[in-house]
Amino acid sequence: MRLRPALRGVLLASAASLLGLRAGAGQPAAEGWRPFTATWTLSGQRSVLATEGERPASIVSLSGPLTITGGEGLGRGFLGQVIGFDDGAVLLVGRAVFSDEHGDRIFCTLKAESIGTGRRAAATVTGGTGRYAGLEGSFSFAWQYVVDTDGGEVTGRAMNIEGRTRQGPSAKGGGNP
Amino acid sequence: MTPGAKTLLARVGVLALGAAIWFCPVPEGLTPPAWHLFAIFAATIASVIVGAFPILTASVLALGISVLSGVLTPAKAYAGFSNGTILLIVVAFLVARAIVKCGLGQRLGHLVVSLFGRSTLGLGYSIFLLDAVIAPAFPSDTARSGVLYPLALSLAEGGGSKADEATRKKMGAYLMFCAMATLSLSSALWLTAMAGNPLGLEIGRTVGFKGSFGSWLLASSVPTLCALAVLPLLLYKIFPPEVKKTPEAPAAARKALAAMGPLSVEERIVAATFVVMVLLWALAGTLKIDLTAVAFAGLGVLLASGALTLKDIGQQGDVLATFMWFAILYTLSGQLNALGFMGFLGQRLGGALGGLPWLAAYVILVLAYVVLHYLFVSQTAHVLALFGVFLGVGAQLGVPVPVLGFALLFSTCYFSTITPQASSANVLVVGSGYLTQGELYRLGTITTVFNVLVLLIVGTPWLLLVAR
Repeated sequence: MRLRPALRGVLLASAASLLGLRAGAGQPAAEGWRPFTATWTLSGQRSVLATEGERPASIVSLSGPLTITGGEGLGRGFLGQVIGFDDGAVLLVGRAVFSDEHGDRIFCTLKAESIGTGRRAAATVTGGTGRYAGLEGSFSFAWQYVVDTDGGEVTGRAMNIEGRTRQGPSAKGGGNP
Repeated sequence: MTPGAKTLLARVGVLALGAAIWFCPVPEGLTPPAWHLFAIFAATIASVIVGAFPILTASVLALGISVLSGVLTPAKAYAGFSNGTILLIVVAFLVARAIVKCGLGQRLGHLVVSLFGRSTLGLGYSIFLLDAVIAPAFPSDTARSGVLYPLALSLAEGGGSKADEATRKKMGAYLMFCAMATLSLSSALWLTAMAGNPLGLEIGRTVGFKGSFGSWLLASSVPTLCALAVLPLLLYKIFPPEVKKTPEAPAAARKALAAMGPLSVEERIVAATFVVMVLLWALAGTLKIDLTAVAFAGLGVLLASGALTLKDIGQQGDVLATFMWFAILYTLSGQLNALGFMGFLGQRLGGALGGLPWLAAYVILVLAYVVLHYLFVSQTAHVLALFGVFLGVGAQLGVPVPVLGFALLFSTCYFSTITPQASSANVLVVGSGYLTQGELYRLGTITTVFNVLVLLIVGTPWLLLVAR
């Protein structure tokens, strides 16, 4: 009897999984990636400058709590602060810092679609201090809502943040500042 | 125990509370500055509630400690002093003084008394009804308080009730609180009566909560009108004015109006200025003009015309005190929010409700949303910080989204009296001198509890009927 290739693949993968031979399963320390999920509520200010297009360019400065809803290795939550430049057309670039209850921090770069409801963003973890020294990783999210008020205030919420982190090679042997 | 010893004990207790929170381990997910600012803010509010310090003293101490301890930078700490809403309150105080000084307020008071003045209760209802009628045209409840305050002040002074211990309770204290409590209901009745209402709808749209002017009015009508029918009477019973019946007042008011003759030149200037200000406040959204700039322009006209003099302004010492304490508390609360404390609380609470039946979750969410306003000094800031979080949590727990959405947004209006600083719209009344801090907290709490009970008991079945 000949098994279809797809079915054969599933059976082999299942068997390998039962035997602990799934790719990466036997070497989590080497890979070290820890997934996490989170929500993030932000508020702050937006300063705008007119452009030739419909939307103005803006500088946004936001902060708010990032709550870890699943995964491990990152504690329960952080204060997340963002500063970014939105070109009003397609792109927001910026930096984010996440601080925990001990003052330890995680640094990120941010690349995103122009900030707005439903738009997407992605961040790359570039390092940290204290227990997060040498951390690397990435996460992405979509804005559930972004609301601008008259005084230049802006509030937004990101649900279903998904990402992963690991201690990078630079963290080996300590490195806490 | 002597009053002095009582005060000393209260001060020690408040200091201990602040120190205990400060030195507790910072909860996971918060930063040290957020936690330490919470310690300062909690001690400040507690000190006012237990009478350890007057609100100005407590606020000034809190500001000094916040900056000297490094919790806030000077730039952030003093930001409230340039806030437009706070400046609007200051200017509205001065405009109200001009209305009273020129005699226009007295004339207005006589007019209202001639129509509703057979009893102080009737005057209380007239304030609530007037506010409910004009509210849809005013997107700012602070601006609306600038209209109601001169009326309440004129009615009080016309009835021989001034902001002094001897006469304030004749009718002034009751009428002043009516002018504050009415805003909690009128703002909920109309979508356009409070800036936070449309913002809430915009946030709610992302989880399927939609509303329009009509659907808002339909949803709010039953709970809000029920509360409106009872609240003036409830306040009258628990905080009775010394002068209750004035059967001869309408006739006397008509007589006084006739004796006053036609409007004086000064009254005409003040009346015209005030009417233009009110119209511009009402049309501010459409014309895209700043509410505070309208107030400043009006004040400028009153000063230029001589209807208000520099000497008059110099006599308004309470204005400076009000400006200072409100600006400071506004800043501290805003920074607490910016440091993630409010969102942290909301998200933690939401996470703790998993597994509850939706009705229990709904009640807890509404009550927690209301109680958390002790930490806020702006209703709009409360909506922006917590409404989306609470609505999202409720949706996950199976609470009907439109029911919870309307309930939370109505609550944002209903809790506006929970503390004297809960809304910028309260500040004119708080600064009037007719009510003590203790009375403001007691009456504010009773009003909030009453409004929220009406919402839960009467409003929830109605919302389940019309908002699903």
